[in-house]
Amino acid sequence: MKLRKLSILALASMTALALYGCGGGDTASADNNGGAEGDQIEINFFHRWPNDPKNAMFKELIAKYEEENPNVKINMDCILNDQYKEKIRMIVSTDEVPDIFSSWSGTFAQEMIDSGNVLDLTSTFEEDPEWSDTIADVSVGPFTFDGKIMAIPWSQDGKAFFYNKRIFEENNLEVPTTWNEFIDVLDKLKAAGYENPIAEGLKDQWAILHYLGTMNQRMVDPEVLAADYDPATGEFTDPAYVDVLEKWQQLTSYMGEVATAIDHETARNTYFATEESPIMYLQFAEISLMTDTVNFDYGYFNFPAFEEGKGDPKALTGAPEGFMVSNKAEHPEECIKFLKWLVSPEGGAVDLTVKGGDLTCVNGALTEENALPAQIEALETINEASQMAPWFDNACDASIYTVFGQGASAIATGDMTPEDAMADVQAAAADLRAKQ
Amino acid sequence: MTQKRNREAFLYILPCLVVLGFFVYYPLVMNLIYSFQSFGMSDTTRDFVGLANFKKLFSDEIILTSLKNNVLYAVISVIIQVGFGLVLAAVLEDRVFQKVSPFFRTTYFIPTLLSMTVVCLLFEFVYNPQMGLLNSFLELIGLDGLTNVWLGKSSIAMYAVIAVSQWQSTGYVTMLFIVAIQKIPRDLYEAAEMDGAGKIRQFFSITVPQVKQMFFVTMVITVVGAFTVFNEPYILTSGGPGTSTMTLALHMYQTGVVKNDMGYASTIALLIFVITAVLSSIQFITIGGKEDKE
Repeated sequence: MKLRKLSILALASMTALALYGCGGGDTASADNNGGAEGDQIEINFFHRWPNDPKNAMFKELIAKYEEENPNVKINMDCILNDQYKEKIRMIVSTDEVPDIFSSWSGTFAQEMIDSGNVLDLTSTFEEDPEWSDTIADVSVGPFTFDGKIMAIPWSQDGKAFFYNKRIFEENNLEVPTTWNEFIDVLDKLKAAGYENPIAEGLKDQWAILHYLGTMNQRMVDPEVLAADYDPATGEFTDPAYVDVLEKWQQLTSYMGEVATAIDHETARNTYFATEESPIMYLQFAEISLMTDTVNFDYGYFNFPAFEEGKGDPKALTGAPEGFMVSNKAEHPEECIKFLKWLVSPEGGAVDLTVKGGDLTCVNGALTEENALPAQIEALETINEASQMAPWFDNACDASIYTVFGQGASAIATGDMTPEDAMADVQAAAADLRAKQ
Repeated sequence: MTQKRNREAFLYILPCLVVLGFFVYYPLVMNLIYSFQSFGMSDTTRDFVGLANFKKLFSDEIILTSLKNNVLYAVISVIIQVGFGLVLAAVLEDRVFQKVSPFFRTTYFIPTLLSMTVVCLLFEFVYNPQMGLLNSFLELIGLDGLTNVWLGKSSIAMYAVIAVSQWQSTGYVTMLFIVAIQKIPRDLYEAAEMDGAGKIRQFFSITVPQVKQMFFVTMVITVVGAFTVFNEPYILTSGGPGTSTMTLALHMYQTGVVKNDMGYASTIALLIFVITAVLSSIQFITIGGKEDKE
């Protein structure tokens, strides 16, 4: 009898454990629905910045907002980039979708929208022109799908070649505007004793993809490119892609053998910051990261034009990031109110740049008093760009850019030819087409 | 009475059955079903695609690269962890080393206690081409010619990754062998010594046959481990440069989570399962399978 009791106890505790597991999920979903008790409104806010300074910045901003709006409680949750992508993909099509969540533009945003759970925010922009006019148009565009604005942009970014002004002056070098001039500059730097005139960490696939995205955009006919980036029609048979990869091969020969073994940040800190490599392809968001490490004067120039390129040579690669609101949110108007506050000079716009280091998409929020001169200059560059070309990994399907990036990495180590790499991409594209 | 006892016995194993069923067999069956479907993580529906995923599996070049790397992983792991680990255990258990043996045992075992992530980050510093320990050491002893871009060259990156696992796991396998060797009756060695057998002869004629069971356990652990290896290449190289350090598990992860193709990822998972199941079964049938596991 005693044994039997024990076994029942064991069983009961097992069941309890199992139920406890489910219980965790239940409380989460209860949070999601928001507590309507009293007048307390709960908003679930999910973003991708668990590390400082941005996490601390968000905490501060939320505390400030909750103080100003005592009836609102914001439950913040966050995990880092890749894990964020995984989790939000998993929950966006379920009832667990957070009320507010951060999103990249392009294919990622499209994927979120396809879940059918993203709120159309066009009316928010139309009803409050006083607020929406302050948002940079270049940031709203990439979040506009079929004429509908699906997210509130929050930051913007661009990528350019940063160069060491002192070294350029010492060697009487001009900022290059075309590919051949660029190669000429690299050759001269090499001759002047800079072994790896251009620094990069090719261990990070995204760093490779940033180059390839820009190079494709510069080289390939825009119509062909658009058709190839579309999963339903992509073929990647245009010979221009092989040209791109040949140019890539040429470029990596200036990065040194070490490049394939280090990551982007290491390259920036140990080569660019130490003046060993005078040139590096950097994001504007990295300006704030260089205030401590870089003690020399630097300037930047847009990716040079290919002489034979068919794309717009004045386009700037970069994209905004923003926040989406779920159409399952219980208090969408409160979510929108919070976001509008976040994306305004009174709310979080200035903090984003000053504390977080990213460029805000609110026009006029940055002044010489609150931002670094390089950040203001970067903002102007973005606003002056003829168009923004999205990051490669926001422009097409992951099954394409992953293969493209792996091919480019193998080209850099000399294990693959551009033709072979493109053949792999074409196979991946055919696979993707078949699935549509 | 017997019947009642049987029912009671069933109650005892019920929790185990429920947990196993829910966390092992149910996912296994679901995985089999998924491998015939095509879907992404945020999709609400799953399309049945028949054998399309399997066709892809057999034409996928990365699968070949991964298989090659996994086999390399298994062979090197067996040689170093099982082979060298056994020798190490025998040496440490020898009377000559009795005094220092606890110190070495602990030293070799410490890496096992570290988290894989920590070990991998540590080795990123070791392998760093500019200021890494390995290259600095080689330069220090005058072997400049041997310095290398360890993780950045496709021809050696895989070996560099495999080396990390050997560094971490050899101590663990050695420990298992030490336990097995300690169980061998001392008089066997004494008798052999009387008969004039040297250390090497004793090792092959007494130690090796006596630890046969443990041999089987460690073989299964290392071989299955080699075919499911994920952390090391994921953290150290992410499969690069190119796809040169891709393993099956990493390829599965990239396909499912990065490329968002869960159907094909399930097919790769099935392949991994079949390989490990077959290899374990072969080892069960040929070497072990009686009792005495761990």
